[in-house]
Amino acid sequence: MSTRTTVRLTVNGRAYESDCEPRLTLADFLRRNCGLTGTHLGCEHGVCGACTVLIDGASARACLTLAVQVDGVEITTVEGLAPPGELNTLQQCFREHHGLQCGFCTPGVLMCATELLKENPNPTAAEVRRGISGNLCRCTGYDAIVRSVLAAAEAAHENSQESVS
Amino acid sequence: MTATTDPRQFTGKSQLRTEDARLLSGHAQFLDDITVPRMTEAAVLRSPLAHARIVSIDVSEAKALPGVHDVITGADLAAVAGEQPVIWRPIPDQRIPTMYALAVDTVRWVGQGVAAVVADTRYIAEDALELIDIDYEPLPVVADLDDALAPDAPRIYEDWPDNVTGSLTITQGDAGPAFTAADVVVSGSFRHHPSYGCPIETRGCIADFDPYADRLSMWTTTQSPNLARELLAQVLGLDVSKVRVRTPDLGGGFGMKFDFYPEDVIAALLSKRIGRPVKLLEDRRESFFASSRSRDMRHDFEMALTSDGTITGLRGTAYGVMGGAFGTVGSGPPWASILTSMGPYRIPNLELTIKPVLTNRSPYGSYRGWGVPKGNLVHERLIELAARELGVDRMDIRRKNFPAPEEFPFFSGAAFSYDSGRYADCLDLCLQAVADAAWEDRKAAAAAEGRSLGIGYGFHVEPGAYGPSRILNLVGLDHSGFDEVCVRMDSSGKVTVFSGQINMGQGTHTVYAQLAADGLGVPMEDITVVTGDTDSCPYTGYGTGGSRALPLGGAAIINATGRLRAKLIRIAASMLEANPEDIEIDSGRFFVAGTASQGVTTAEIGRAAYRNLNGLLPEEETPTLEEVDVFDPPNMTTSYGCTALLVEVDRETGQVDLLDCIQAHDAGVIVNPMLADGQLAGGLAQAFGGGLYEEFVYDEDAQMRTASFMDFLLPTASEIPPFTFVHQETPAPDIPGGMKGLGEAGTIAGVSLVGSAIDDALRDLGVAVDEFPVTPPRLLALIEAAQEGASSGADKEGTR
Repeated sequence: MSTRTTVRLTVNGRAYESDCEPRLTLADFLRRNCGLTGTHLGCEHGVCGACTVLIDGASARACLTLAVQVDGVEITTVEGLAPPGELNTLQQCFREHHGLQCGFCTPGVLMCATELLKENPNPTAAEVRRGISGNLCRCTGYDAIVRSVLAAAEAAHENSQESVS
Repeated sequence: MTATTDPRQFTGKSQLRTEDARLLSGHAQFLDDITVPRMTEAAVLRSPLAHARIVSIDVSEAKALPGVHDVITGADLAAVAGEQPVIWRPIPDQRIPTMYALAVDTVRWVGQGVAAVVADTRYIAEDALELIDIDYEPLPVVADLDDALAPDAPRIYEDWPDNVTGSLTITQGDAGPAFTAADVVVSGSFRHHPSYGCPIETRGCIADFDPYADRLSMWTTTQSPNLARELLAQVLGLDVSKVRVRTPDLGGGFGMKFDFYPEDVIAALLSKRIGRPVKLLEDRRESFFASSRSRDMRHDFEMALTSDGTITGLRGTAYGVMGGAFGTVGSGPPWASILTSMGPYRIPNLELTIKPVLTNRSPYGSYRGWGVPKGNLVHERLIELAARELGVDRMDIRRKNFPAPEEFPFFSGAAFSYDSGRYADCLDLCLQAVADAAWEDRKAAAAAEGRSLGIGYGFHVEPGAYGPSRILNLVGLDHSGFDEVCVRMDSSGKVTVFSGQINMGQGTHTVYAQLAADGLGVPMEDITVVTGDTDSCPYTGYGTGGSRALPLGGAAIINATGRLRAKLIRIAASMLEANPEDIEIDSGRFFVAGTASQGVTTAEIGRAAYRNLNGLLPEEETPTLEEVDVFDPPNMTTSYGCTALLVEVDRETGQVDLLDCIQAHDAGVIVNPMLADGQLAGGLAQAFGGGLYEEFVYDEDAQMRTASFMDFLLPTASEIPPFTFVHQETPAPDIPGGMKGLGEAGTIAGVSLVGSAIDDALRDLGVAVDEFPVTPPRLLALIEAAQEGASSGADKEGTR
């Protein structure tokens, strides 16, 4: 139990190295060893999705992943979506469409939606609902989250059309 | 002439939230994000049995584990701390089963805390829990309400004659003759199974006891910092001034975080014992046992009517399925359910009885709606049964029994006086929206394909702005209902609003900034709102619950800014050598009408009031720019709504799909329409969870079978329908600003609504849903019973 392992990984483009017990979860590694508390824990059994991060670009539950499993990989957390003081398009759309209330589930929802929009840049409302169905939100009733994600897709579409023309 | 610019530049408009950026970027500060120097982490050992005597506890091995600082048992705790307070005592002569923060000799529910460990990390603390050796002697278990009421039931407290804590009957008119004379009587037994508020952030605290100053500093996830401060002082024997309570960002509260929990006391004592700060966070599994259980009630009620559909009487008994001890609010929510069981209807004869009964379940406590969702089940389920029995339209019968707008304030017959209302208009607004959405066409088209769609309706009332302090005391609350606000403009002319309310996702800081900006005539970005610290923020009675934050905090801000604005105008007039009556304000500039370029700014006034008084601040004015207002409402607010729900029922599986939802709502003056809709939608989603999915399931040993998100099913985006909201605004007559509480609307409206929609989808079968959540097995049983009844021709009544 007291055997410690060195974990090296890249989070939001920055290298981190830390000794930890093999049983330390990735979520606790990010929160405690890297000081990145934007990744939240709502259930610690892989259902609520609040701890969703991107591991080499693919969404994963940081509560069900051990830090030692991801030695050497690239992680993106909510802190990596935009530079300090700024919000990216997706975050802006959540603000404009009231896609968050308490904000606790929000980092996980944002990471999930980031992957969703990358894989499907023009989703329907039904596809967004399916796409975020692994993230529990107790505040919003989801409708505003769906509108936020659709608005982000539309904004990205408009931006790309502008850059083409 | 005073200011001619529109005083409502921000109020009434969907302003973006001031809270959002930090929440969206990972910069928020929730409880578990906080680390303080020398901090340790604790964990609680919980009883594996529902009812047992603690024969012995051996903590020596746990104490010896490297990294462990201390272990505390119930006996240790009870030697230095008082019992957990019960602040609601609305039933005279009721037996109140109290408890210590850790069980002392007997455990009375699965998950009751029996010991706690503090260690370097939570990981080590949990390791140490496994080393604590406890010998339990099992006692007979009372697993549910029927067990508890059985004549030979085991008693939860040996010295009690039975498990009934008490009984209260509220009467109005004379129900007996009304029922004797009735043309029609409809009845039902409505069961809402237990659930809980379930914020995605669990509860937690950091306790830091300073042994030299004898002072406790707490970070805790509470909706009621002032109440928590008082109760910590009470339990720990400290002066109130020796306790500081701070609340970080709250990851949802939903009433559940209103209550005062044992863990705050445990962490405080551990910190005192080891001389270091202690963080104690519940994990998800613990939350099912350690956070307030709610909703768990049965209502056996009947309604009397004349043949023309006029309701003449309502009577019945409600059973609150209490736990093995009382939580902070005692049997308050079950009591509130009978107070609201007549809903929006004029019912002259009432006989309403509440009986809270003990079981070996966890303590009952607060959850958004606070009893009213079950009051709503009574009146909305019964009125639909009556419509069916009388063969009249279910909306017409509702309309027929509403008090007219000119009858307000309207005494409901039991405690509440509804402040203002245009109920029939609201019902029409809903029906029009449903017609516009062409739901009947969708229903007919589906029926042609052999599918069963149904439209549910419900009308709800929501008591908010709890409440006039002396009346709350009178009905059994050991706390107050006023709200205090301090508005301070600083020497640079910018404004800080200090409030005792807290922010838990509902956007308190944004709406307070809107009201303060309009109250003072300054830009919204000039306003900073500070909440969540008993050392620097004013006092609020009760807490942020009972739909209080906007009507009470908002009223206090309107009052305080009104007085501060008058002072600003007086100072500006003096500086401009003009009459105060001639001063106008535009976005923080004060000027004489017609000379906008020559005015003074709030920055200049601020400087005059704090730094360069000489020659600028009138002699008769007190330096500083600060106003405090204490608002104790003369009456509560009653918002209301008419809600419609479109569902599809699969008759083969008992599965219910939610297709669309429309709500017409009236919460008086709406400050921020976008946030108001967010509150309504979120509440409805919670109610649909309670109506269809979420349930604490217990076995015969009162072991919970659903203590994870694999088994306790919160609805996801795939289950919850889209929402449409339409508003009408009938101002609250007793609240400056006219706002009514609306945060609990959805949870009150949504459960009976699910029943109404399912009934409509199965209208040909005569199904009447009376047990919630309506899980597929429960609905299949109803469908099969109805089909058997129809084939045998035995069920002529069709109402049950």
